[in-house]
Order: sequence, then C-alpha cells, then structure tokens
Amino acid sequence: MALLEVENIRAGYGEGPDILTDLSLEIEQGKTYCIIGPNGAGKSTLLKAICGLLHPREGSVTFKGEVLNKLRTDEILRRGISFVPQDRSLFPDMTVKENLRMGGYILKSRSEVEDRIEEVMVMFPILKERSSQQAKTLSGGQQQMLAIGRALVLRPEIIMLDEPSLGLAPKISQYIFDSIIRLKDTGMTIILVEQNARKGLEYADWGCVLDLGINRFEGPADTILNDPRIQELYLGRQGKASQEKTV
Amino acid sequence: MNQFIQVLLFGVTLGGVYALMASGLTLVFGVMRIVNIAHAAFMIIAAYIAFFAFTIYKIDPIISLLFTMPIMFFVGIAVYWLFFARIKGAARTGELTVLLTFAIAIIIEGILGYFFSNIYRSANPSYATQAIHLGPYILSEGQFYATLLSIGLIILLWVFLKFSRTGYAIRATMQNTSAAQVVGVNVERMSMFSFGIGMALAGASGSMMSFLFTFYPGKHWEWIAILLALIVLGGMGSLGGALAGAFILAIASALVGYYFGPTWSPITFFLALFIILLFRPQGLFGKKMEA
Repeated sequence: MALLEVENIRAGYGEGPDILTDLSLEIEQGKTYCIIGPNGAGKSTLLKAICGLLHPREGSVTFKGEVLNKLRTDEILRRGISFVPQDRSLFPDMTVKENLRMGGYILKSRSEVEDRIEEVMVMFPILKERSSQQAKTLSGGQQQMLAIGRALVLRPEIIMLDEPSLGLAPKISQYIFDSIIRLKDTGMTIILVEQNARKGLEYADWGCVLDLGINRFEGPADTILNDPRIQELYLGRQGKASQEKTV
Repeated sequence: MNQFIQVLLFGVTLGGVYALMASGLTLVFGVMRIVNIAHAAFMIIAAYIAFFAFTIYKIDPIISLLFTMPIMFFVGIAVYWLFFARIKGAARTGELTVLLTFAIAIIIEGILGYFFSNIYRSANPSYATQAIHLGPYILSEGQFYATLLSIGLIILLWVFLKFSRTGYAIRATMQNTSAAQVVGVNVERMSMFSFGIGMALAGASGSMMSFLFTFYPGKHWEWIAILLALIVLGGMGSLGGALAGAFILAIASALVGYYFGPTWSPITFFLALFIILLFRPQGLFGKKMEA
C-alpha cells in the first residue's frame, strides 16, 4: 500500500470553479516526486488539498490508511505531513529562532522543540548565525532555508515543497536542491512542485505531469525528462525551462 | 512654561486611557483585519455596568473592571460566534464586517437608549474630583489612577502576546495568516479569542470612562472617531503604534485646547487623521499594506 493515496479528488477555492477536476496520485515511502505542469494546472492546489488548507469537494486523501479529507491542518501536521508554501510564508517581524519555534507550535514540550531547532540549525548553519535576526531581513535564499527548516522542526514523514527555487539566483537554488537531496538521504518522502521542471525532475525519482486539474502523465523522472512528447509540451526546448522561472 | 508643563501632564494622564481604548481596537484589526466600528459602543455598555455597580452597590468603578472585563470577554466570544463566524469566507467579507459592526453599534445604542434613556451620566467616586499636587503642578487623581491602570493592562497584554504560546500564535496570525495556518495555528480560534480580549479591553475602558467622562448611549460615535484617528496615526494593527498615537494625540489635543480654546480640541484628532492619510497612510509604525 502506498504511503499517501490521492484518489479522484475534485477541489477548488471558495465558491470558485474546480481547479483539480479528477486527480489521482500514489506516493510511496522514501521517494522524491516532482510535480510539473503549466500555470494553473493545479499543482499548488494539490499540495493544499493534501495538507488540509483546502478540503477536497470529492474524492479522498488517505495517509497510512487514514482518510485526511476533513482534518484540520494541525491534525494533518501531527500525522507527519508538512508543507512549505510557495511564498515561503514566514512571520516577518519574528526572529529566525521564533519562526522555528512556531514550526513546533503544535508540540507541547518546549524542550523538545528547542532540541529539534538545534537539529535544523545543524542542517542550515546560516540559520544559527542569523537566529536573532528578524525574518524579513534575510535574503531570499535564507528565507527559503528558514521556511524549509521550520517545516522540519516537526520531523515530518512527508515534506511538500512548493516552488522552492522560485526567484532565487542559480547558485542559491542549487544549494536548496542539494538540501533536498540531503533530506532524501534521511529517508524522507518528498513532494516537490517545480516551475523549473527540468531541474526538479533531475532530482526526483518520479515525475507527474499535471494539466487542467488531472494527472495527465506520470513515470520515472528520467523517462519523463527524455520523453519527446513531454519535452515538447511541458519542458520546452533547450533553455526554455530556465526562462520559465522568471515568470 | 509652567502652564505648558501643566497642559502636557494633563495630556499624558489622558493618553494612557486613550491607549487602553485603542489597544483592543487595534488588536482586533491586527488579527481579524476588521475595523470594529462597535468597539466604543461596547465600551459604553461597560460604562453603564460600572456606573450602576457604583450607584446601586457602591462598588468602586476601578474595582468594577474585575467584572466588566470578563463579562465583555464572553460577550465578545458570543458576538464572534453569532456574527463573525457566519460570514467568514463569504465574498466581500471586508465590506460585510464594516456593515455588520456598524449595525451592532446602532443596535447597542438603541437598546441602551431604550432602557437607560439619553441622559448624561458619570460615576463620581471620591477621587474623580480630587487632585494630586506635584510641586506646582496638579494632576486629576481619577485620571492619574486610570492612566496607571491602563498602562498596567497594556503591559500585561504585551507580556501575554510576547511570551505565552497563545500570544505567539496571535502574533503569528497578525503577521501572516496563511503562514500561521501552515504551522498548525487554529486561526479561527485565535480570531475568536482575540476578539474576546479586544472586548475585555473595551470593558476595562468602559470602567474608566464611567468616572472620567460623561456618557450616554449615542456618545460612542464621538469615541470611535477619536479611536480610529489614534490607531490610524500609529499604524493599524500595531500595539506600540496605538500607544504612541494615543499619547501624541492626547497631548496635542490638550495643547490645542489650551492655546486655541477647548472647542478646538476635538478637531485635533480629525486634522491629524487627514494629515496622516495624506502623507503616511500606513501610519507612523504601520507597514504598507499589500493588496
């Protein structure tokens, strides 16, 4: 049985139209998934529907055999699924340390939170250096590390990253991708949404191509990378992917 | 010079109370992004409670905040559940909440007017008319106590927001609602709780108002206008801003009242409001709002 199963979900915002029309996806433990697709395909919406920021209108999200559909975000976090949103969603006037503490908000034990913050700071030493600085004073790359670090405080089984390289200089985005590899090496399951599809797929085991709210195509990441149809439709020709990043 | 310092002292002792009144309003705005037009109307309810507690049961108006605060806290929770929880997620929530709080203010005014008529009232404990002599200067004893207590309550609020787990969650919600949701803060519950705290602060303000100022049911319109000027000056949603705005405008209005005559004093607030909206619409300490 897959770790996380998304079955035929239909979802959208408020009273708006369906963004996800009939989407299914299986996530296996310990693998890295890269979800690609054009703007408006429903990539971010899928992640929000998994972590409870959005409740599916139909279908089900099942984690280790338990249906998550109606659960609140804090209840889903407790079960081991963390989400790093696209805008990084930090608390700008709080310090780096306080932001990390908020990552452990749902944990009761303060000392446990402090221990885990230490672990995160080992992974991202820059956060230790900047720990008493306000989050809004950090550079884009540091903010992304803080956002990922904050999600790691809960030691999630699955971490979902929405466009972690967005707006970052190539060198910094390389560092973020290397961190993702380090997470993968610890056995964590990773779901990555990347606008820079080529780059994302290079780091993933499995690729899923979303379009118009459904899972149009999926397969091993290198197969997708080299599939001429996919290249033509979604990856763009040589060099085009890097232009997409600035959109 | 002596006169100037005297007027300044008067402004300062008024400022603490203004700050208390504004703190609840700015807290509710910060967390829920709603401008609670009914804030001052809730203060008037509390002022009536304190007034009758004093005239009927001889309970000191300052002591009365021990019950006006909890009463208004629960009134706040009830109002939240009855009204705000229902319109959450509706289209145009922002406009709806303005209409809603406006309506609540009118309803409160109507009910108070029906039961207590529109006569001017004010509790008169002994300290309301006494003075404290500080060398050549005079302080109104009532204002002095009220301001000290107000500052005490604001410090308590600050400590709560700064150090408690719930305080962290409330600040997180103020700074970035969606980020707060992502880390598992129950934003709905924090909104309800903050609204309760805002109303409790309105309760404490009402207790002070009962002996510092005369009041009647329709008086809240004057107050809400002043309070809005204070929090717009300081930056909406900023507690420190509300504090600064309150002292700046209390002192300014006292000075205007002294040098140009008391009839000009209220205009200080509106003049300040116009100037700040023209030149620094985000307020002295506010951040530019993003669309």
